[in-house]
Amino acid sequence: MSTEHIRNFSIVAHIDHGKSTLADRLLERTGATDPRNRKDQMLDDMDLERERGITIKASAVTMNYDYHGTNYMLNLIDTPGHVDFHYEVSRSLAACEGALLVVDASQGVEAQTVANAYLAVESGCEILGVINKIDLPSAQPAVAAEEMEHVLGIKQGECLCISAKTGIGINELLEAIVQKLPPPEDKADQPTAALIFDSVVDDYRGVICYVRLFAGTLSLKQKIRFMGTGRNYTISDIGKMCPKMVSVDKLSSGEVGYVVANIHELEDVRIGDTITDAANPAAEPLPGYKAPMQMVFSDFYPGAMTDYPKLRTAFERLSMNDASFTYVPQNSQALGFGFRCGFLGLLHMEIVQERLERENDIDVVQTAPTVSYEILLSDGTIKRIDSPSELPDRSVIAEIREPFVKLEIITAGDTLGGIMKLAEERRCKLVKTEYLSPTRVMLEYRAPLAEIVYDFYDLLKSISHGYATMDYEFIGFEPGDLVKIDILVNKIPVEALSLIVHRSNAEQRGRKMILRLRKAIPKHQFEIPLQVAIGGKIIARETIKSYRKDVLAKLYGGDVTRKMKLLKKQKAGKKRMKSIGQVNIPQEAFMSILDNSDD
Amino acid sequence: MNNRDISSKSTRRDCSLYIHIPFCVRKCRYCAFYSIPASVEIQRQYVSAVKRELAMTAYKQSFDTIFLGGGSPTAMTESLLLELAMWAGAKIKSGNEFTIEVNPGQTNAELFKKLKTTGVNRISIGAQSFNDKELEFLGRIHNVADIVRCVEDARKAGFENISIDLIFAIPGQTTTDWKHSLDEAVRLAPPHISAYSLTYEGDTPLVRALAAGQIEIIDEETDAVMYESAMDTLETAGLVQYEISNFAKAGFECRHNLRYWLNKSYIGLGPAAAGCYDGKRTENVADVQRWLEAIDAGRFAYETQQSLSAEDIACETAVLNLRTRFGIEPVAFERQTGYDIQKLFAAPVMRHLNAGLLEWHEGRLRLTRAALPIADKVLCDFAAI
Ligand SMILES: Nc1nc2c(ncn2[C@@H]2O[C@H](COP(=O)(O)OP(=O)(O)OP(=O)(O)O)[C@@H](O)[C@H]2O)c(=O)[nH]1
Ligand code: SF4
Ligand SMILES: [Mg+2]
Repeated sequence: MSTEHIRNFSIVAHIDHGKSTLADRLLERTGATDPRNRKDQMLDDMDLERERGITIKASAVTMNYDYHGTNYMLNLIDTPGHVDFHYEVSRSLAACEGALLVVDASQGVEAQTVANAYLAVESGCEILGVINKIDLPSAQPAVAAEEMEHVLGIKQGECLCISAKTGIGINELLEAIVQKLPPPEDKADQPTAALIFDSVVDDYRGVICYVRLFAGTLSLKQKIRFMGTGRNYTISDIGKMCPKMVSVDKLSSGEVGYVVANIHELEDVRIGDTITDAANPAAEPLPGYKAPMQMVFSDFYPGAMTDYPKLRTAFERLSMNDASFTYVPQNSQALGFGFRCGFLGLLHMEIVQERLERENDIDVVQTAPTVSYEILLSDGTIKRIDSPSELPDRSVIAEIREPFVKLEIITAGDTLGGIMKLAEERRCKLVKTEYLSPTRVMLEYRAPLAEIVYDFYDLLKSISHGYATMDYEFIGFEPGDLVKIDILVNKIPVEALSLIVHRSNAEQRGRKMILRLRKAIPKHQFEIPLQVAIGGKIIARETIKSYRKDVLAKLYGGDVTRKMKLLKKQKAGKKRMKSIGQVNIPQEAFMSILDNSDD
Repeated sequence: MNNRDISSKSTRRDCSLYIHIPFCVRKCRYCAFYSIPASVEIQRQYVSAVKRELAMTAYKQSFDTIFLGGGSPTAMTESLLLELAMWAGAKIKSGNEFTIEVNPGQTNAELFKKLKTTGVNRISIGAQSFNDKELEFLGRIHNVADIVRCVEDARKAGFENISIDLIFAIPGQTTTDWKHSLDEAVRLAPPHISAYSLTYEGDTPLVRALAAGQIEIIDEETDAVMYESAMDTLETAGLVQYEISNFAKAGFECRHNLRYWLNKSYIGLGPAAAGCYDGKRTENVADVQRWLEAIDAGRFAYETQQSLSAEDIACETAVLNLRTRFGIEPVAFERQTGYDIQKLFAAPVMRHLNAGLLEWHEGRLRLTRAALPIADKVLCDFAAI
């Protein structure tokens, strides 16, 4: 097929604006799926995606579209909207010439709309503005279109109005995809260069690579080389996702498809790598991707030491289908052997943790997530730490640098006051304010990641009555007046309970931490002193009283079953704990230190 | 296959009988037992159904112990109660313990004299407190004077084996109030006293009052002090603690309850009665009408039936044994359950020995005295493997 008749595009949008639903309609209209087997957001095929109703992983699919008698091949990539998964969007965009930028007509332009539009522009994609959900009574397509023009420079007249739910405007959208999005360049006669934009592991077939051909061809039995790793393979199957896997003999420049080549380990495949012909390789690999950046880190320890090998196997398996989290063995004096894991954000962490729990029967204790810090040592060297416990001794630290992000918030003008106050409390510096419309405003801040990554979004939502949205992007490390808070439980410093915070609110934070811990750590046979130390000096203490009475008054023949149940429940409550010294610290306690809310 | 099914066979050789009398004239505020006020007609049907229910079981021998509990056995009309007691008394192994629970608001000298003729040889008195205000708070139908008279009447009728139940940690109660109740009970010199911390369970007026914030639960510290005061006072009076909540002069331990704690078999008759027989735990439906209908139709009235695995039996036996001051005797435990206690519970045994909550005493593994107020912290580790 001539590349003239190919269109490659991603669907990008703010979370929940209807990308996956739009993909459903496009697949239906082009006959790729049968509307009688309808399943909403059918590309969201992971259990967790279906349960949470969100897209976590991008999915590519090929459709055939009859445009006025001519067959066009449309390759669509549905992307996730959540901020944690931006890198999936960039990866998808790099495989495309076009992007459908979807905006919910009842919500208008939101933070990830802007972020995704920038990503599309950066990757050189032509943007087609799509205003969705016009069936909703609260839809204001004209307002949304105006905002698109004002903020993103997309001409009002060029936006298409659709309802992905009812199907209004889908035919017009398909025509516009052909008319307005550019076809890929035709470089079929050049040496093969295919970008691996995603990969998954199949139990039977090994690694399946999703590729976009930028030059040359790939065919069955061809000897290929992965330019980054230098490894050679022979293609054992090649084809397209329609959306089921359909084998073909050949993929040509401009097309999107999958390649199977007897690769067993996911580590052997680098997403962003270039596949070329082993005999006639391309001169240069394609630009590829920056590795995704882990924003938060947390340690995972098995409740029982003997479960360590099981935990390692579990992480190996998980990472097979998610190359964006990292895990490094860790040996903590207090907690024993475990892993330090890096995640793209808190949602990503939650998802990995949920999969870990669901797919494995291991009692795991996880420490509170933290950002990473750069430490300038007195000897001029720089050390990167992913846990407060790694902070070197104060005497050798010249400077602690923390990660800063560009934070964008879009909200209604009348909620501005509350939001600015929150941002200020969190040490965010206002860079600019811009009205998108007379009632909606976009704020840009330079913000310390540690201040906005945990509870900031929830607070933002509650202050703005659900209205405000936010997006952030890493810009770099900046020095700050940061100190480490240490917690001593029963006189023993527990590194896994340490936090690095700004000096200005360290004392108040420390006091709050031990109040939380007092509630979260169960009573023991003995009194447990809790102490907060900042810079080696104890600044506050609390005590967990010892338990005094815990016994069922009666246990006779009539209540054996019921009382045994109560005791079993009590025993089960002892799970997910880590004992440090003589004290059992439950999972909730490790997390409780981050709870900075007032009460 | 293995030696673990010994327990079910051994149950055939000895068995106790519990009869639940589901009648009370009025519900006490804290009580989650099944009991209702009932007409004489219902009581009559009840008594004959109890007899039928026993006839339906496979057990034809005499019983090792018998316990008439409730509810309030004494809420029945005297003639029916005596009929039931007489019938049951004919089924006790000669000389063995036959207990009846009595409500001090429902007894008189005559009744005890008559009970004496039925074979009943142990009286358990639901006294609960020696403070009229507390009795009123609890919703009891009697006062302190009734308790004193009840004990005297029982003694006069020739009962020696008398037990008094007491409740502590009653909202508003002080440690002094509780000490008073203890002292008064001791003054009456019964050879057996049970002392229970007030329990908030089920959907009772007490639980609802707590939820509504109308009453305040006694704090853990005070509860512990009260418990220790019971242990001290009763010990001084020569009543040895032989279970978490039970104290007795030597030889006056309740045999029936000891058999529960040894995890021996028993048959339960009457609505809401539980049984444990042939490796199975059963519980009758907590509804007089439905129970009567089932028995009339020649069916058992089980609300739940649970077959116990070898592990279940081992866990139950360990938990029940440990509640007593005799603890677990390893050889007997292995004979009964097929498991070696030190292997099956190796980790918790070690941990609690080290923490000073368990101890070896005369070849038996038992809770230390310090562990008694916090026994569940230990017992829960034996509740499941
Ligand atoms: N009324 C109406 N609802 C829609 C329309 N399109 C999508 N929705 C609903 O909006 C919600 C989100 O739709 P999705 O398609 O999952 O949104 P998404 O953009 O893929 O979400 P993420 O992948 O999580 O970013 C679902 O409840 C859809 O049913 C539409 O045109 N009209
Ligand atoms: S007398 Fe006993 S069984 Fe009856 S209501 Fe009171 S406590 Fe419950
Ligand atoms: Mg989606």
